[in-house]
Amino acid sequence: MTDRTVRRQSYWRRIIGQTVVRWGARLGLFWVGILAVVGVFAPFLASSFPLLLSEGGKLSSPVLDYLQPVDLILLGGFFTLLLMIPLGLALSRALLVLAGVLVATTIIAYSAISPPKLVIYEQYRVAEAEGRYDWVIYAPIPYSPKDYQRDRGETGLEAPLSKSERNHWFGTEQNGADVLSRMIHASRIALGIGFVATGIAMILGIIIGGLMGYFSGVVDILGMRLVEIFEAVPTLFLLLTFVAFFGRSLYIMMVIIGITSWPGYARYVRAEFLRLRKQDFVQAAEAAGLPLPSILFRHMLPNGMGPVLVAASFGVASAILAEATLSFLGLGLVDDPSWGEMLNQAVQSSSFNWWMATFPGGAIFLTVFAYNLIGESLRDAIDPYLSKSN
Amino acid sequence: MLLRVKNLHTWFRHQAKTIKAVDDVSFEIDRGETFCLVGESGSGKSITALSIMRLLPQSNLERHEGEVNFQVDGQPSVDLTGLPESEMQQVRGSRIAMIFQEPMSSLNPVFTIGEQILEAVQLHFPELTSEQAWARVMQSLHEVQLPDPETRVYSYPHQLSGGQRQRVMIAMAMACEPDLLIADEPTTALDVTVQREILRLMKALQQRTGMAILFITHDFGVVAEIADRVGVMQQGKLVETGETDQIIHRPGHEYTQVLIAALPENLARHEKHETIVDETPLIRLSQLQIHFPVRKGLFHRVADHVRAVDGVDLEITRGEILALVGESGSGKTTLGRGILRLTEPTGGQIDFDGTDITGLKRSQLRQFRRNMQIIFQDPISSLNPRLSIAGIITEPMKVHGIGENQEERIEIARDLLQQVQMEEDALWRYPHEFSGGQRQRIGIARALSLDPSFIVCDEITSALDVSVQAEILRMLLELRRQRELTLLFITHNIGVVEYVSDQTAVMYQGQIIEQGNTADIVNRPQHEYTKQLIAAVPRVPV
Repeated sequence: MTDRTVRRQSYWRRIIGQTVVRWGARLGLFWVGILAVVGVFAPFLASSFPLLLSEGGKLSSPVLDYLQPVDLILLGGFFTLLLMIPLGLALSRALLVLAGVLVATTIIAYSAISPPKLVIYEQYRVAEAEGRYDWVIYAPIPYSPKDYQRDRGETGLEAPLSKSERNHWFGTEQNGADVLSRMIHASRIALGIGFVATGIAMILGIIIGGLMGYFSGVVDILGMRLVEIFEAVPTLFLLLTFVAFFGRSLYIMMVIIGITSWPGYARYVRAEFLRLRKQDFVQAAEAAGLPLPSILFRHMLPNGMGPVLVAASFGVASAILAEATLSFLGLGLVDDPSWGEMLNQAVQSSSFNWWMATFPGGAIFLTVFAYNLIGESLRDAIDPYLSKSN
Repeated sequence: MLLRVKNLHTWFRHQAKTIKAVDDVSFEIDRGETFCLVGESGSGKSITALSIMRLLPQSNLERHEGEVNFQVDGQPSVDLTGLPESEMQQVRGSRIAMIFQEPMSSLNPVFTIGEQILEAVQLHFPELTSEQAWARVMQSLHEVQLPDPETRVYSYPHQLSGGQRQRVMIAMAMACEPDLLIADEPTTALDVTVQREILRLMKALQQRTGMAILFITHDFGVVAEIADRVGVMQQGKLVETGETDQIIHRPGHEYTQVLIAALPENLARHEKHETIVDETPLIRLSQLQIHFPVRKGLFHRVADHVRAVDGVDLEITRGEILALVGESGSGKTTLGRGILRLTEPTGGQIDFDGTDITGLKRSQLRQFRRNMQIIFQDPISSLNPRLSIAGIITEPMKVHGIGENQEERIEIARDLLQQVQMEEDALWRYPHEFSGGQRQRIGIARALSLDPSFIVCDEITSALDVSVQAEILRMLLELRRQRELTLLFITHNIGVVEYVSDQTAVMYQGQIIEQGNTADIVNRPQHEYTKQLIAAVPRVPV
């Protein structure tokens, strides 16, 4: 029976299996996994609001009260993924379930919860100092990213662990906010922009490239011209222009990075489809009278996805870099911290403070490095000449 | 005795398993003799040749021992296995030369053929002046009868045809006047008429120079044509050696008997199929044309057309097997795909069962797809590597509404696998887990899943060993009888044509030049080209 189950594992399971045995992929996935967990649970890891407190025998959880709709959506998606792993669904079905859950939680989150508009970070610290609570449990890092801790007399620019009563592990920036807390919340932006921008680029690239490769001829000629036009667009300067016109928005950034980087994927998919088009099994599918979507997406696409996935993992890395570059130039998001913006802060402050440059810079470096490692291993795993014997 | 191989072992290690590629092989080759090593794929015949030349991959070599004694006139015999690498290089090329199956990949595409031969000559005869060396290059090209050698010497490999490239390879090998020529399937990639010329050339060169030839092949027809003595290999062992005549007519070893019996010429003839009374042809082609445009210049202007199929009239009667024969490039595969409209015809008409299908739209064509199927040559690329066998066989059924639900379709698929003599647990496996013959069976099962009345079989046995080919052909005839199939059987193998088909059509440069009963065509060809083609086929004397 075990023999049968081993045999029945699908192509993608085998590829994932072969990717994961490589140490580079393990390191990369380990780091990305940490980032993902940290990003999802950011409000519970770093927050000025107590996780749980007891006021005159009455329990309450301020963290939950201040939870944003985005936090809820991320949590929903994360737990659905965790639940689906033991179920072992097919890849396409798993993606469908995930998409469904995300849409559902989005609707629920935006209609059901409304966090208080006015945020006073120090209210719980002040109340605790007054002795109004029986007991309070804080998050591991008890500071929100935008909590400037004026009540505690923070002067800002404090080196890591320099004062024993204020445990800022990674120090504070010039306004007095905790660097580690800002980094934890910024990991969401780093991961999100990478995945969403690459996702947009991949979907566009696969559709346009697939049509070009399958129909060739006139469609191909027109498509290639479109690819060339988009490849000539300098992403960074388009982003700068858009930021100048429409203000600073994470979503605009994602969309622009996405729609300027699809030509690379389209080229890969087109080349693969041109090759597959003449393969006998595609001809057989055509001879059997299968409908076009089935030929394109069931027979051709899975066979041509290899190079696209490899390119995608490098694409995630470059999208993260693009966002970091923009933020570093001071054109990133206004209030929300991001790693690039933190580097910018480090440069702009009057004296050089090593902790403000080292930690965000290290995080960008490690994340891009991790994605490149994953891409590298994926490429080796997909290469049929290396895994022929299996 | 020129070469004496004694107790040669070449073992490889592959994932903790030992593969005995060459296992205790001993044979001898005399001066001026042609010794043929025959065997199916994986029998170790090529590895034997590489072991003699010491060109083995070192990384996973587990055991390489035995004696390879090589003795040239007036010199003491040397054991090649013990020779230092520097001396071995002297032997390679100058004393023992080798030519390979694929002449395109054995020639360097960035050098002219003259430069490549010159390099070999200068390496082995450093004492020659450059004029003398060049003269030698020209002489060797003359010897191999390359047409117009004075200009061809400056051409690049891609400018020559397959047969010409193989001549250049032979010229390169002969330029250093070797005592032994090892030829590893040198004619397998060539058409029969070209093959005959190359074989004749090798014979002539051998008579003139007195060299010995170690000829590796899987084709008993070639063996009968060229060999003095034959060695039969099976799974690394040399099971039998003997005179050619004795091996072919009185094989001693059981395995040789099986191989000889599996030749299409020797298969028990099936009783000719009763043609059905209904004489309306199932397929009628009238003036079918498939031209591919050749585009040139900046605006991809259509400069010319490749006339792959150029005005073909053909009728295929219900229930008969029509063999379509021709050399590579004659357009037979394009014609087969054109009939199914996998390649769009550019002119003419295809009638299927009385309906003109040339003008049908994609959606209208779909219902006809059920009745016309195709089986491909290459068992590797013809199955989608990402789908299980169950998925491959049931998907077409689902689209055409065969079977109520998936369980029923799986049941039908199980039945089909039984009909092509496969285990039913194959359903849940993936294509890469099967051998070439098994994949070809799966391909047949897929074609049958829609219960078609007409199947195009495009060189379905060319990539298979003879014994597997015999099984597939027998099975196909049996299926034809049960299901009353009409087949268009595309092949270049005349032995297979004789065994399998009722009617034969000969294709040459996009046109059908002769058509008739198979027996008439094979025994009394009328057209000049057909005569040449039939005469060029290497035959095993029956």
